[in-house]
Amino acid sequence: MIGRGLSEDRLSSAEEAPSELRVGLIAIIMLIAFTIFVVRLFQLQIVEGADLASRSERNSIRSLRLEAPRGDIVDREGRVIATTRPAYRVRVIPSEIRSPERAYSVLGWLLDRDQVELASLVGEPRGRRRFQPVALETDLAYLKRAQVESHRYALPGVVTDMTPRRHYVEGKRAAHLVGSIGEIGAAELGREDFPSYRAGDVVGKSGIEASHEAHLRGKVGGRNIVVDVAGQEIEIVNEVQPIPGGRIVLTIDLDLQRAAEEAFLSGDPEVPNHRGALVAIDPRNGEILAMVSQPAYDPNAFAGGIDSSAWSALVSDESKPLRNRAIAGQYPPGSTYKAIVAVAGISEGILDPEKTVFCPGDYRLGRHTYRCWKPGGHGDVNLDQAVLGSCDVYFYQLGVELGVDTIARYAKEFGLGRPTGIEVQSEMSGLVPSREWKERARGERWLKGETVSASIGQGFNLTTPIQLAQAFAILGNGGTIHRPHFIKHLEAWDGTDRHYPERDAPKPTALDSAAIERVRQSLVATVQHPEGTGARARVKDVVVAGKTGTSQVVRLKLIKDLEDDEVPLRFRDHAIFAAFAPADDPEIAVAVVVEHAGKGGGAVAAPMAQKVLARYFEKNPVEPQSELTATAQTLSGTLAQPEAE
Amino acid sequence: MSLVDRRSVQNFDWVFLLLVAVLVIMGLVNLMSAAAAGVEGGTSNVVRRHVMVMGAAALVMGVCAFVDYRHVERFAPIIFVFSLFLLGLTLVVGVVTRGAQAWLFEGGSFQPSEFAKVALVIMLARYFHRNPPSTIQRLRQLVPPFLIVALPIGLILLQRDLGVALLTLLVALTYLPLLHIPMRAWSAIAGLAAAGLAALWTFGLRSYQQQRILDFLDPARDPLSSGYQAIQSRIAVGSGGFLGAGWQEGTQTQLRFLPTQHTDFVFSVLAEEWGFVGSTLVLAFFIALLLWGLWIAQSSKDGFGAMLAVGLVGTLFWPATINIAMVLGLAPVIGVPLPLFSYGGSALMSAAIALGLLLNVSMRRYVF
Repeated sequence: MIGRGLSEDRLSSAEEAPSELRVGLIAIIMLIAFTIFVVRLFQLQIVEGADLASRSERNSIRSLRLEAPRGDIVDREGRVIATTRPAYRVRVIPSEIRSPERAYSVLGWLLDRDQVELASLVGEPRGRRRFQPVALETDLAYLKRAQVESHRYALPGVVTDMTPRRHYVEGKRAAHLVGSIGEIGAAELGREDFPSYRAGDVVGKSGIEASHEAHLRGKVGGRNIVVDVAGQEIEIVNEVQPIPGGRIVLTIDLDLQRAAEEAFLSGDPEVPNHRGALVAIDPRNGEILAMVSQPAYDPNAFAGGIDSSAWSALVSDESKPLRNRAIAGQYPPGSTYKAIVAVAGISEGILDPEKTVFCPGDYRLGRHTYRCWKPGGHGDVNLDQAVLGSCDVYFYQLGVELGVDTIARYAKEFGLGRPTGIEVQSEMSGLVPSREWKERARGERWLKGETVSASIGQGFNLTTPIQLAQAFAILGNGGTIHRPHFIKHLEAWDGTDRHYPERDAPKPTALDSAAIERVRQSLVATVQHPEGTGARARVKDVVVAGKTGTSQVVRLKLIKDLEDDEVPLRFRDHAIFAAFAPADDPEIAVAVVVEHAGKGGGAVAAPMAQKVLARYFEKNPVEPQSELTATAQTLSGTLAQPEAE
Repeated sequence: MSLVDRRSVQNFDWVFLLLVAVLVIMGLVNLMSAAAAGVEGGTSNVVRRHVMVMGAAALVMGVCAFVDYRHVERFAPIIFVFSLFLLGLTLVVGVVTRGAQAWLFEGGSFQPSEFAKVALVIMLARYFHRNPPSTIQRLRQLVPPFLIVALPIGLILLQRDLGVALLTLLVALTYLPLLHIPMRAWSAIAGLAAAGLAALWTFGLRSYQQQRILDFLDPARDPLSSGYQAIQSRIAVGSGGFLGAGWQEGTQTQLRFLPTQHTDFVFSVLAEEWGFVGSTLVLAFFIALLLWGLWIAQSSKDGFGAMLAVGLVGTLFWPATINIAMVLGLAPVIGVPLPLFSYGGSALMSAAIALGLLLNVSMRRYVF
């Protein structure tokens, strides 16, 4: 084969005599191109280069990076939560230090630090690292700043500048929501979604700082300057201005946020520590008005790069201050769940709200006995009485009649069992148990007794505070889901270019509005009736509808022989309260969870929700509701033991 | 009959290999400095990966040098169609980077357009071997080669990679001076080209591409975009002076003020750190390599070998020229790597194939 090919080749190569090949022309073109390059190099490097060099033998060009200030995060009224302030930085460029000994002794005196320590911090780097500035101070105090500035002439190789530094105006305020920043990690650096980042850059690590990194970051600039022997800037060769990061306007109302956080910090003094979460939502549009997770941390600690001991202290703290309990804390909803079970009962036609059920204090199913929280029982109760007194037996019976799958279907209509889809990461989905779930997750059959505890929000049930707030917002607005969100709009740093994020259209649920309306009446009774378990959430001139909950952390028999204050903290019950107001046309829905309060939701959580509601209606007064007394009276009429206030 | 002829081994072109070796070493030394900026201690990943690719490239070059290149002629259509297939595949599954869809596989590990250049040259060499350029005197005789060229360029244009499309066209145009076409026809070609460029500007260019060209014409108009790159590159080159700042001593490089300094702007690192002397030396070695390549074409007794060598020289000359012109501010910013100097596996691999084939043609020049 090859032999044949060879002979053909010989033939054709004879036709194409090498001399006819005009490669000489190509060679000339190439030579011309490369000659142009040499001339151009001569022009740039010798002619212009010499011009630059002649200005000063020892002047050199230094390139600076101009950091872009990170965008502000403000509340719905424009009050600043996170901003950027200038921080004074002192750095040393090792290659430009003329007499190290003198330089470090002067610096040590100016900065009030040990000169040996400073010298060892900088070290004696070789090669390219000699050009890389070493930071001695990243945020120097104002007075020392003046001292350093006035001695700048004596310090060649020392550069001072202002760098933008993240500042959280009120420290821990809304810390989990706003999030924190930190140095970009090695793993993130290689990723496609961090294209223009380099080692040492600051990046959002959690909360809005992370979820809206691209908007907040801005664009770095750069500057080439000519410096003299003393490192003083002589002239700017050229520069590219940084573009500040964009601003984020939240739906959060800082007044409510403050009221909510203070409620946690100045809560019931008998409760050992107030851990938990609070979420306030506008039921008309899903705007989050306040979101608290306690305990909190101060994100300012991260702004300048957190040291490792402080970091590990935060991470290993058993109270988990870094975790956003409002979206990632999962708690049994307890009796607040009864509102949902009641809606299910009415919608399914099983429950007649006016018919009474006798509560003897316990409920038997097969060989098991399930207790009502009230020893001795509630006696004859209808729906209003059962809700306001939070009768367990009434709902045990209703729950068993409905079956767990029906309850689950309604719970899901209320948005439970799946993330609400809020803008930040790490939201948990909670859990709505059903037969199918147990089969799949545990490989076990559903036991009828489990329906009993499921119907009062115990057992496998888990909800996050934000889900609970959303569920009560749906109860309040008559059955519409507005996806909870806390970004009102984004805009450029100077307020231009306003951009409203796309919102899902309000999603109607399959819930029966008449059933919701009826249950709402019972929820009003819970707060407005003197004997209601939620009475401590009452707000002057406003009708509040709500439900208390106390969710058991461990089975009763484990701790039944102990006095209340002997129960180990981690075994104590969670106190829960969820509400909306004004009852007939709600503007705000609140959910509060206090972990291991050891007391009921009515005693601990309801007063905290009350503070937020009171603050809201102080700012947004409603017409004093004349029906208020009327409603309370009608309600009283339906109750077994009417009692004057 | 063995694949490797004893005579061809005796005629091995040591001068050419030496030129290649010098350039490769210069490229590696320069890349080590360019990639070292901002890396704390040790060798950077870029250099490590580059050295690994170099090992593979040496192997590929060896194979391309020793397997008789006339097999390449026989398989030319297959190679060509396969390169078109790869380009088409990029369109379907390609990974989009920097606005262009030129990379196959995640992480930009394989760039078919680099190989398409070489495949195109092989195909054209086969055509011009069968229809020697000296016999081509009329434009319509150029229709078949025009179609051969249009296919890959069309596919590259579909990927919206204008720079590479232009580069591929220039590589093909390397054959133009060989044709015996009268002056009148030249003016027709020039007219067509001007009309084509005007149409391209209006319909073919994305706004960022138009921006780049405007930036080139007036770098100060928007110092934030590609004009910024051009200014920074010029400053880096200029600050090199006569002798340069020294290896790993260039402030512009080491402070990473240069854009994409280990890929497209690697020559500005060289210019800053080695100065006029160093850059001119590298240019000298480059032109020596290219002229040697043309000499290989000239001295080949075989038509295909000669045509192949001319085209392969083109695949090295044009990217080098466009790249250096861009770095020196003589051409707009087009993302074309500098052969043997820029970081990038596909470019290095295609250069290895081209150099291997050139060696191949060279050592068989006495065989026929």
